[in-house]
Amino acid sequence: MLEQILTISFFTAFFSAMVRMAVPLLYAGLGEVFAEKAGILNIGMEGVMLSGAFFSFVGAMFSGNLWVGLLFGILGGVIVSMIHAFLSIHLAQNQSVIGLAINTFVLGITSFFAKIIKEGQSYQQLKTFSTIKIPVLSDIPLIGNALFNQDIFTYLLYILVILMTVFYAKTALGLSFEAIGEHPRAADAAGIPVHKYQYIAMLVNGILGGIGGAYLVLVQLGVFSENMTSGRGYIALAAVILGRYTPVGTAGAALIFGGANALQIRLQAVGVPLPAQALAMLPYIITLIALLGSIGRSNEPESLSKPYIRGSR
Amino acid sequence: MKKIVAMALSLTMAVSMLTACGGGSKETKAETKAESAAQTTAESASEKAAEGETLKVALCVTGAVNDMGWCQSAYDGLKLLEEKYGAEIAYTENIQAADMVAAFTDYAANGYDIVIGHGFQFGDPALEVGAQYPDTKFICVEADVSSDNVASYVMKCEEGGYIEGILAAHMTKSNKIGFIGPIEGASLIKIMNGFEDGAKSVNPDIEVQTAWTGSFTDTALAKEAAQAMIDGGVDFIAHDANECGNGAIAAAQEAGIYATGDSYDQHELAPETVLTSSMYNVPVLIEAAYNDIANGEFKGEVKYLGMAEGVVEMAPYYDMESVIPEDVRKEIAELIEQIKSGEFVVPCDTTAR
Repeated sequence: MLEQILTISFFTAFFSAMVRMAVPLLYAGLGEVFAEKAGILNIGMEGVMLSGAFFSFVGAMFSGNLWVGLLFGILGGVIVSMIHAFLSIHLAQNQSVIGLAINTFVLGITSFFAKIIKEGQSYQQLKTFSTIKIPVLSDIPLIGNALFNQDIFTYLLYILVILMTVFYAKTALGLSFEAIGEHPRAADAAGIPVHKYQYIAMLVNGILGGIGGAYLVLVQLGVFSENMTSGRGYIALAAVILGRYTPVGTAGAALIFGGANALQIRLQAVGVPLPAQALAMLPYIITLIALLGSIGRSNEPESLSKPYIRGSR
Repeated sequence: MKKIVAMALSLTMAVSMLTACGGGSKETKAETKAESAAQTTAESASEKAAEGETLKVALCVTGAVNDMGWCQSAYDGLKLLEEKYGAEIAYTENIQAADMVAAFTDYAANGYDIVIGHGFQFGDPALEVGAQYPDTKFICVEADVSSDNVASYVMKCEEGGYIEGILAAHMTKSNKIGFIGPIEGASLIKIMNGFEDGAKSVNPDIEVQTAWTGSFTDTALAKEAAQAMIDGGVDFIAHDANECGNGAIAAAQEAGIYATGDSYDQHELAPETVLTSSMYNVPVLIEAAYNDIANGEFKGEVKYLGMAEGVVEMAPYYDMESVIPEDVRKEIAELIEQIKSGEFVVPCDTTAR
């Protein structure tokens, strides 16, 4: 048993699985960072991802082109996040209620449409985006294969994490986006168009969340199945909190969640003599332990989920 | 103005939700005439059938009857009863655990002869209501309860798993095969154990790797489970993981190894990968239950139906016939005949190993 686990090949494969499981979480997580820093809590991320997954499948299936599928997936995510944006920004409604309503709504409507388009026939799995192996780097022992023998979306993430970090730390625009989440009234007084920026933040939220969902279909599975995100949107929310609202932190948290899930399923396959349910708890136990480490150091944006109404007190 | 827009929006959302659910949640639809008044005569169902009267059959399902899966299979069975035997049918969709007793009581009080609860969850409610309405027969699919007028009809799904296990053991070159399940439950464990028993009947030293995804829908995790097994040398994947089993087949397809399908014929999903699928024929099960009652052969027991009754079936090999050696196909065909004739009984073990 142990000699099966403590091998280079087990860990090499495990790290690859960890990255694969983390990528959709991280796309959704980065989208959520963008929204939450601008003061909008999108609990509907699960719905954004599911919509992205569904529409990417529809687009790719009917056009036969994966890039069209990706575009549809992004649009699917954006539509859902824009519904959220309209209700939460324009109508200043309760963001938790909107988010939960959106999740239930998207689950219902994607399952419904999935049945309609699959009616009476079954589909072959789509051909998915292939992996691009980066020479030399992918030969690094243990982590080379995990980090540099992946698909284009994974590589895009590396750039995205760096860009977002620079954006918030070094640019005036980044500071403006952060300001509206901390103190929208002060930001407004300073001449920052709060609502416009919040809409932009939600647009980014929809694009990234949509890619996160589309990734499951276009890269990993090639097929849409009902409720296939299975709570990944919620895990992404947790990753943002655990990552203390920073892109790099969220990336680390996504890797922890993805890794825990990859580990438990691998331990089951090896035949570790523990009940499957106990192993399935592993990701959540790790979360709780990790959260213990961040007690008293909240980086939550001050005005998160508080609607900003101009001129009101 | 804003409030009106908000209301209009939430209304639209609510309406689309309802559409998505395929109708109201507890709406009862009587398919034929309006429900007649409660029947007070203590005439048994078989007597009624003998006199040429139509039996009234009601179906209770936990989801939508057009879900193209578990619930629809029962609805297809119900329609079959209407078309073939002229039964008067009715059904209720989307029944939650708290509403099961009420739904059963409704039908029993309205003089239905047969009330079918489609799922193991209906077991205890059937016992409770059955005690109050001795003239109504209660059929619970995949449950494990029985009393004077309550019977459970269980599919011998392990027979399908056993055949898949034999096929896997013959097709593997690494002597490592894998099986992926969704949520650990008796009716799913028995398929996994059947698979293992089947494989070990061919080669006692074969290594069978297993994993539970803990979800019926997490397709990506099922793929990861299959990938973990493939990384560990497995070259044949089987599953009983419903929707999320698609992920297991996707992993097998990518790795260029063989797999088997479950529940329905999954050949189309990956024609070069899926060798066969074990299919569960719920309409046949419901027809069998109906006939038992109509012919007066009903017994309050847990009844097991499998290949012999046509409830469990293996899908054709299609083009993959050429990759399976002829003697293996012959062995499997002979074994299926033996199972059908009762000469061979597939062991049924519902405890997790």
